[in-house]
Amino acid sequence: MTIKKYQRLKLMIVFLILAIITISLISKVYLLSFAALVTGILFSSLIRFQDDSSLDEREQSIKEKSANFTYAIFISTLSLGTFLLMFPSVSGLSVFSKGEFLYLESLGVVFAYLTLFLIILYSITYLFLNKKYGGNSDEK
Amino acid sequence: MGVIVMRNKLKIYRTIKNLTQEQLGDELNVSRQTIIAIESNKYLPSLPLAFKIANFFEVKIEEIFIINQKEEN
Repeated sequence: MTIKKYQRLKLMIVFLILAIITISLISKVYLLSFAALVTGILFSSLIRFQDDSSLDEREQSIKEKSANFTYAIFISTLSLGTFLLMFPSVSGLSVFSKGEFLYLESLGVVFAYLTLFLIILYSITYLFLNKKYGGNSDEK
Repeated sequence: MGVIVMRNKLKIYRTIKNLTQEQLGDELNVSRQTIIAIESNKYLPSLPLAFKIANFFEVKIEEIFIINQKEEN
């Protein structure tokens, strides 16, 4: 990826964060807007994009490992959330979604779909990269 | 099965050529942080980079990068 593409990607992410802040302020979900603000500050200060031509292999390795960790933690958190939010109680409703928190069960369903999507995405990219890097040869 | 441990003599060769970490990084087209990480055995360079290092110092790759196999207890 060239530095121009990285800058565009960074701009897109900044716009996304700004959109989240705006929508959450309008919806008066102040905690979300604060979280988005902190995320934006961290992202801008910690992530430095470099041109491909001078991309250091150690930094490339760090980026790949960071992506791996992020994926692993994200999918673990989502699946745990799915389980907790959809785990049925004796009455048939999920344990945490009672009374005013009934919406949490819907959130659990969303988490479940997200988890499945991530697993499928990982499987497809694994298949693609496995073929790309020649792991399917029939030669003996 | 033992544990494979890699170490290197990069710092020695760099000192012999009287280069700073930054200068060596510039010669090899990597960052100073990468040189630091390789010298402190915290990062294993890729095969192309290892060959680049060996070619730069005009030695064989085995003279800079040493592989040891330790027996597990």
